[in-house]
Amino acid sequence: MQLIQYLINGISIGSVYAIIALGYTMVYGIAKMLNFAHGDIIMVGAYVSFCITSYLGLPAVASIVVAMAVCMLLGIFIEGLAYRPLRGTPSLTVLITAIGVSYFLQNAAQLIWGTAPKNFTSVVTMEPLHLFDGQLVITGEVILTVIVSAAVMIGLTLFTSKCKMGKAMRAVSEDRDAAQLMGINVNLTISTTFAIGSALAAVAGVLLCSTVPTLQPTTGSMPGIRAFTAAVIGGIGSIPGAMLGGIVLGVIETFSKKYISTDFSDAIVFAVLILILLVKPAGLLGKQTQEKV
Amino acid sequence: MLKIDDIHVYYGAIHAIKGVSFEVHEGEIVALIGANGAGKSTILKTVSGLMHPRTGHISFMGKDITHTDAYQLVRHGLAHVPEGRRIFLQMSVQENLDMGGFTQKSVQKEELDRIFQLFPRLKERRYQVAGTLSGGEQQMLAMSRALMSHPKLMMLDEPSMGLAPILVDQIFDIIKELHAAGTTILLVEQNASKALQIADRAYVLETGNITLSGTGAELARSDDVKKAYLGG
Repeated sequence: MQLIQYLINGISIGSVYAIIALGYTMVYGIAKMLNFAHGDIIMVGAYVSFCITSYLGLPAVASIVVAMAVCMLLGIFIEGLAYRPLRGTPSLTVLITAIGVSYFLQNAAQLIWGTAPKNFTSVVTMEPLHLFDGQLVITGEVILTVIVSAAVMIGLTLFTSKCKMGKAMRAVSEDRDAAQLMGINVNLTISTTFAIGSALAAVAGVLLCSTVPTLQPTTGSMPGIRAFTAAVIGGIGSIPGAMLGGIVLGVIETFSKKYISTDFSDAIVFAVLILILLVKPAGLLGKQTQEKV
Repeated sequence: MLKIDDIHVYYGAIHAIKGVSFEVHEGEIVALIGANGAGKSTILKTVSGLMHPRTGHISFMGKDITHTDAYQLVRHGLAHVPEGRRIFLQMSVQENLDMGGFTQKSVQKEELDRIFQLFPRLKERRYQVAGTLSGGEQQMLAMSRALMSHPKLMMLDEPSMGLAPILVDQIFDIIKELHAAGTTILLVEQNASKALQIADRAYVLETGNITLSGTGAELARSDDVKKAYLGG
């Protein structure tokens, strides 16, 4: 029973990673860059939500909507200001810039909100479910997180396969010049990708801090790196891959914390990453390019 | 319809196009021929807005488009089928066609029917991933995709590249058919004899300059052209 409890907790934290990883994977797939500031957008989203509920006393739902809107604008702004001017430069330049943006966001958060951790109040008010005479406890946070991440994945899959804008994103991802020749505005498509990814980061931030209530300027950075790992494990660029990678990583992390060592859990996670990449270099669900010349 | 006036195009420090001027009139087939590296593809990329000239002017349908971006030009009726086809290999044939019609507001049922009539092979493979198509089918898809935007001028870059002779004939037949249906064609080809056969007028490009021009038949008879591009 304990094992199942850990498995459920692992899936829950993994679902948060999955939502973050979806943002990473979309931006990587379409803009062909690793947005290392993505994790810090999570933190900004959580702070915005925290301020709305704690200082303005508004309901949790309103705080999530505002946090998504703020992060969306922040994402578009960062892309336009920091990354767009670097389009066409070596990917290393963009990578360094992204790391710079990440530190900038963390330091800005320190100036605005201070370094002292805030105690985030969970947005979930549902009572935990007690199953099997209380041997198995499923919290409202777990249920909400799993449902939200599944909905996000299904939503994104439908968006990229059915909607015109979603298909345009795939076109830009495959061949930017050819996409322009179709009349697709590449800059607008990339902005939209950042907007979606950043809004998802806000959702992830709120869910993360509802589960782990300590909120500080560095809150987003480690989950961001784990989610990036999840995206790579699943196959970067792949939407179901991000989901699978997130959950695999969450479960491995929880199990190694409980059964092996809390200190080594990150080391174990990254060892698994190395092993998976040795066997499947493109990740678990990485795209196999079909090409015939 | 299309007027190119003394354009100079650079790749960084490399001066690729050194003052090229030419025109395409409505209803014509114009061919640009020349050796590898002469700058044929660069000219098409500059016209379609993927690149911009450092100096000189380009106008299309009376509008100055020198600095207009590629994605806006499609709406003006300019389609560019790039070298190497550049279809979306991971998308299905149908999705590629959908992308071709990106600028159109409604679903292009009639256009699709017309395309599938022109290229029955594509209809058979409609839901297949485009990466699994043969070279000839990929070229057909690239042309069809461009047709979905209802172009007034279609620029084709090396449509015969890497295709078996029978397919080359088929592609050229289709170009003639598209032209007969009212599309103006600007054709870039290494297969000079084929291109000159169907072209109303043609230009010979050598290392960034136009060195010869005339009707397709004139150039096909020219000794210089024969020696350099038609194998004697």
